[in-house]
Amino acid sequence: MKREVVKGTQMMGIVAAIAGWMVPGLGHLVLRRWSKATVYFLCVGGLALAGLAMRGGVFGADAADLFDRLGFFADLGAGIFYFLAHQIQVAGPDVAHATGDYGTRMFAAAGMLNFLIVLEAYDIGRGGDAK
Amino acid sequence: MNALFGGLTHFGALLFFALVVSLTFAFLSKRGIAERAKYTLWAFLAFLLVAIGIGWLMYPFSQ
Repeated sequence: MKREVVKGTQMMGIVAAIAGWMVPGLGHLVLRRWSKATVYFLCVGGLALAGLAMRGGVFGADAADLFDRLGFFADLGAGIFYFLAHQIQVAGPDVAHATGDYGTRMFAAAGMLNFLIVLEAYDIGRGGDAK
Repeated sequence: MNALFGGLTHFGALLFFALVVSLTFAFLSKRGIAERAKYTLWAFLAFLLVAIGIGWLMYPFSQ
């Protein structure tokens, strides 16, 4: 099947990157990369939701030390899942148990994965030869 | 959501994490279904092998 190509510009790259950060996979959807958009949304969304369901902690902007600031930066990458974390996780975090601690790492991993996805969306958007 | 993920065991969480990250890396770095499937499988197995290996290495320190 022939892929529909969106003409790459700097602006298209920035729009795709912002869209991809807000909603994982949306940047690729804008660029008509349907399969990538679906897989990225399901993978990042699944990882973020699993982290919240396991009662993982989400770092806030009021970070006390460098570790917390790095955690905040990683979590922020999950976009809409970060902003809706408190609505989704009604029971609140429970990092006293190992499961909650794993959940914290899963949510941070979702954010970091999405940053990689955003970089790819930016590259495709500006006309780069991404896979 | 809790019904799906809330009851995950630690090993189940490891399997889920390994699968999801492998799949994402495959789509980021490979082109074509066959290459992506092969990369996903290898990365998934490597995640499991390393996690179980590190688990065994740390086992004596838990006693």
